[in-house]
Amino acid sequence: MPIKKRGTGLTAVADAWQLADIDVTASYPIRPYTAVMAEVAKRIANGLMKCEMVHGEGEHAQFSIAHGASMAGARATTGSSGVGVAYAFETYSPIAGGRCPIQALIADRTLDPPGDFGSEHTECLNLRDNGWIYGWAENAQESLDNSLMFFRIGEDPDIMLPQIVAMDGYFVSHIAQDYEMPDQEQVDKFLPPFKPQFRLDVNNPVIMGPQIEPEMGPPLEWDRNVVMDRVKEKIVAVTEEFGKIFGRKYAPFVEEYMTDDADMVFLLQGAHAVTCRSAIRYLRQAGYKVGMCRLRWFRPFPDTALKAILPKFKVVGVVDTNTSYGAAGGSGVLLVETRASVSEVPGKPLIQGFTSGLGGETITHEEFFKMAEMMKMTLEAGRIIQDAVWVNFNDYLPAVSEVQAAEQQVAQTKE
Amino acid sequence: MSKTYKQVPFAAIVPSPTVSNEHMVTGNWRYLRPVVDKGQCTQCKTCWIFCPDACVDFSKDEGVDFNLKYCKGCGVCSSVCPVGAISRVPELDFDE
Repeated sequence: MPIKKRGTGLTAVADAWQLADIDVTASYPIRPYTAVMAEVAKRIANGLMKCEMVHGEGEHAQFSIAHGASMAGARATTGSSGVGVAYAFETYSPIAGGRCPIQALIADRTLDPPGDFGSEHTECLNLRDNGWIYGWAENAQESLDNSLMFFRIGEDPDIMLPQIVAMDGYFVSHIAQDYEMPDQEQVDKFLPPFKPQFRLDVNNPVIMGPQIEPEMGPPLEWDRNVVMDRVKEKIVAVTEEFGKIFGRKYAPFVEEYMTDDADMVFLLQGAHAVTCRSAIRYLRQAGYKVGMCRLRWFRPFPDTALKAILPKFKVVGVVDTNTSYGAAGGSGVLLVETRASVSEVPGKPLIQGFTSGLGGETITHEEFFKMAEMMKMTLEAGRIIQDAVWVNFNDYLPAVSEVQAAEQQVAQTKE
Repeated sequence: MSKTYKQVPFAAIVPSPTVSNEHMVTGNWRYLRPVVDKGQCTQCKTCWIFCPDACVDFSKDEGVDFNLKYCKGCGVCSSVCPVGAISRVPELDFDE
């Protein structure tokens, strides 16, 4: 029987790792990731989990340990936050290129400066070009479910890619909430044991990551590119199977909320979706035809799904909780990817960028209302009024009213 | 005409080599050659364990020898030798 529990996103992932019967986990403390390492250590000490826990001397060592364990055929996990994720950067491409399907838990934390503890997606988005597959969970339940689904997808013999279970630090990783820990039997049915085709074995020696000849580089990269398309197919199949076995049905790529008759939608990922939904309920009462699209995956980016969904709307407000200084559009990473996804689609909506929720700040109802108001102005104007809106910094609400007043004056003088 | 690329195995994983690779001779990178003093050598095989390129050969009769075709001269063997039996001699001091 599944167990009803109250815990955090991190205990939920520890539950998933326990159910997945991981062989090795590599740890190094950094807030907010630390709690999962403490949780796993406790379970090993109490005899709940049988797994080798190796403590690295830093995040680079931590990811390298998981890499080596995976090469030896172990189901290996690790994780980090913020600057720790950055410190391990050199290891990301070799792990993905070596096709070692380790799982990392990243509970987001703002990069330095200023040593902020709060959530911001930047550090995890920084490694988007290295061939890892990942997406954000919005609550504890989804992080547990994502962990199991990601193991299944990443370890598939057709895929063999490392995965990141990403979650907003503190909002998901530390706020206690209710969730359900599935039954071991269900998990055994869903997730087969990890049996890679190649592993380090003294009786059948192989070289992993050898010095290859230069002409072998491009085809190796082509393989890594092609596998991403296969991941998309696998995500659809696995998400459906997950729903059948566990009874929780997720949209494979994009969760839609109140979009049936919507003119405008917020597009975001992660925990801010929770506040967004309740803001939308108020906005609906006030007559705004607004909805929400929440991305469940960031890599591979759900461009095909967005091509089908977004032309239904007139304005899409992309809410970036990350920074990409100097990026096209002046907002964050999501804006660039979303615009690129639908740029060639006829009848595409106006896509405007908002930056909000940086440094671990909540995006409040008031801020969602403000964004909705600006989107409405864009809708009425039929064009992007102002790119690169950082909410509370350069909102164009007053600017637009000034322009309107000026236009009215001009209209009056013409009469 | 499009270019044809070399076939690449999955994740560039290849069987462990059983013969030396004639296309990757690295001995000519070396400018300091490891030389073992067999009188001092205790045959502890520390150098054999540490050599990053498996260039230390060991036999009961001959003791420690170096595979100079592939030895890059990194000097790890000399650094780890507990009795200081391995010296590093400039390549120009040798005739061949």
